[in-house]
Amino acid sequence: MLAQLILNGFVTGLLLALPALALTLTFGILKFPNFAIGSMLTLGSYAAWIGNSLLGMPLAVAAIFAALAMAAVAMLSDVLVFSRLRDRGSITLLVASMGISLILENICRFGFGNSTRNFVFDVARPTRWHGLRINQEQLITAVVVIVCVILIQLLLYASPLGRAMRAVADNPSLAAVRGVERQTIARITWCLAGCLTALSGVLAGLDRAVDPLLGWNYQIPIFAAAILGGLGSPTGAIVGAIVIGLAEELSSLILPTNYRQVVSFAVILGLLLVRTQGLFGGKAVRK
Amino acid sequence: MTAYLTTLVVLVAVSALVGLALNLQWGVAGLVNFGVVGFVALGAYATALLAPALGWCGAMIVAAVLCAIVSTVLAFLSIRLEENYLAIVTIGFGEVVRILLLNETWLTGGAVGIADIPRPFVSLVSPARYDVVLLCFSLALVAIVFALLEILVRSPFGRALRAVRDDATVAAALGKPVLLLRIKAFAIGGAVMGVAGALHAFYLTYIDPSQFTSIITAYAFMAVIAGGRGSNIGLLFGAGSIMALLEATRFLKDAVEMTDGTQLAALRLGLIGVGIVLLLILRPQGLLPEPQRRVRDFFPDDGGSA
Amino acid sequence: MIAARVTPALSVHGLRAGYGNGGDIVCGIDLDQSPETILAVIGPNGSGKSTFVKALAGLLRPRAGTMAVTGNDVTHLSPAKRVMAGLAYVPQEANIFRNLTIRENLKLATEFLRGRTGVGPAQQAQVMELFPEIAQRPKLLAGNLSGGQRQMLAFACALLANPEVLLLDEPSAGLSPKFVGETMEAVARVRESGVTVLLVEQNVSAALRVADEVMVLVAGRKSLRVPAKDISNADLADLFFAKAG
Repeated sequence: MLAQLILNGFVTGLLLALPALALTLTFGILKFPNFAIGSMLTLGSYAAWIGNSLLGMPLAVAAIFAALAMAAVAMLSDVLVFSRLRDRGSITLLVASMGISLILENICRFGFGNSTRNFVFDVARPTRWHGLRINQEQLITAVVVIVCVILIQLLLYASPLGRAMRAVADNPSLAAVRGVERQTIARITWCLAGCLTALSGVLAGLDRAVDPLLGWNYQIPIFAAAILGGLGSPTGAIVGAIVIGLAEELSSLILPTNYRQVVSFAVILGLLLVRTQGLFGGKAVRK
Repeated sequence: MTAYLTTLVVLVAVSALVGLALNLQWGVAGLVNFGVVGFVALGAYATALLAPALGWCGAMIVAAVLCAIVSTVLAFLSIRLEENYLAIVTIGFGEVVRILLLNETWLTGGAVGIADIPRPFVSLVSPARYDVVLLCFSLALVAIVFALLEILVRSPFGRALRAVRDDATVAAALGKPVLLLRIKAFAIGGAVMGVAGALHAFYLTYIDPSQFTSIITAYAFMAVIAGGRGSNIGLLFGAGSIMALLEATRFLKDAVEMTDGTQLAALRLGLIGVGIVLLLILRPQGLLPEPQRRVRDFFPDDGGSA
Repeated sequence: MIAARVTPALSVHGLRAGYGNGGDIVCGIDLDQSPETILAVIGPNGSGKSTFVKALAGLLRPRAGTMAVTGNDVTHLSPAKRVMAGLAYVPQEANIFRNLTIRENLKLATEFLRGRTGVGPAQQAQVMELFPEIAQRPKLLAGNLSGGQRQMLAFACALLANPEVLLLDEPSAGLSPKFVGETMEAVARVRESGVTVLLVEQNVSAALRVADEVMVLVAGRKSLRVPAKDISNADLADLFFAKAG
């Protein structure tokens, strides 16, 4: 039924919003597309699984544990890799992030194999509301994501740190001569990206299951969402994610569900033809 | 023994071809392509589907042309844009090809794949001796492609490409048709990837989507980075070093108690990731750098006077 | 004539700088600037003026030489730390944050300077007195301002850091003659408020209107340093077109 699809699509979109935000923030502030976004999601969900299933934490606590762990991993990757390549151009950084992606994904595969895992979590029965079925996972996703989005928007637009981040995104050398250390902002951005992707990993793991390809399956929709919103625009990432979620879900009316990623890819191609800067972004023309 | 050697040589040959193609696209023309595996798969499937009708040679040629056409389309869509966009499009492309191959069962056989692929020169010798033929075929293919690409790179076309890669604005000001050059380079690279896919199909005689995973893209990048972007000889060296890595991990499996193939595969992929990162940080110019052109290369008669 | 020895506001010795793997563009410059003066740095295109001021601001790592602000060594400090040491810089282009509002630009100018003496509401009031038009539309995106207004905002942001020394890179570039005049008047007012100004300028006559001293840069080296009133058109022509060294 159409309304159910719209609801499902909206929630799927919300789930995409967090990694899309992370991707767009790293693109805006660190100036390159982070290929490792999917693998960060995967590692985040495994970190939560370790906390939840192996160490016996309640899922909420495990999620926080995973967010902190991923923030540390992201920061470490900046210290060891990205900071050494900072001025080498976005393609070098992109290729390096592909290397990081291979490392992160295969740490998961090496440690836990290819089989799927599940969180220890008592799922309540779905709620019924005006004929629509709403899972508990969907409610959790919606609440968590909306809270995160509000916090991020407050951070970016109502705090000194957010101003500093937007200043570095706008003009790094000018930010430096106004007292903002670029290195510090870069590290904070990575920590934030790590937290956001880890949380989305927990939500995705709840929705599907935890396996090494969990994040990879979201890679194209995440990129599509960020590009649709305009790379570098946080508001755009959120709006783009919801649109992509809706598009993928509604496409099941005419396409088999296996083709969802093809839908996102088609959106990317379409945007390139029509409006490369997305809904909220700036110019994208090659110099 | 011959069978093992053939396996090794064919694997190196496929990697070398893919690496040479990426080297042209990225190393020489400055266009990064993360959808490598998609083009290889396209080449393999086109070959497999057309070989019964056109024979192995015709099928391989058509596969190359098909890949060139698809490359042109992708490049045309994104080449005017910032380099990040072509990269992002190609990230999606590889995955989308895999999904299409898996699901369009009427054409590709889905997860089951296509079997009984005809092989080159199979009627020449007895089945027992065929390995040698395939080995020689692979080497010859790599040699021919290498030679052709080297000629291309040293030609005015190649020089123009490198000028565009280093500074597109200046190149355009000098009258070089920047867009056309880039698209041509991308298409030629795509065609070579198609040939690599054909070789893959000939060797295995049976293909299915599970053979085309992102490890192929990862190998290609490692080869290009290790070899030094732009240098084809360096690239062969790079492809060789990857194979050495592969073989080393095989011995690791015997030395260290590893329970299953998944862990070995994960270790291999992880090491490639580490290798890519280390090379980018420590030796961005590759293990053998692109030879610096000297004034003498352009003015051979000039004795070096200012 | 100066009887007592005053610590120079800006002091540079043997500065060398260049980009990437290229050669030196700044080839050894010595400079002592007295407090509360305006020094105009002029020279032909390609003489290294912009590179010089970027090296002073900390955006380029010096290859040799030292630099001090009011006697404190800043040679190895990052740009952010140099601001804390009393050095402010207005780049030639991209000197405001286009995607931030005017109010956000102004806030950012002081938010990360905790501990810098003199930064505070009193200083802000003083600066806004120098540039009254800026405060009028705080929610406007800075990128939507005209060239002259952006220049004023850039000045104000630099001054909010209560610098001892202000570096200006071609402030008159791209401005109409009327605005050039206003800009130079603003530079003079800045000096009156107690700031030492080093001004790189292509527009020599505009710079000479307010400068106390002039330094001529040719091919990365200091070619002449005189009080502004002592320089004549003939001198300049000689220097600009004469062979280096």
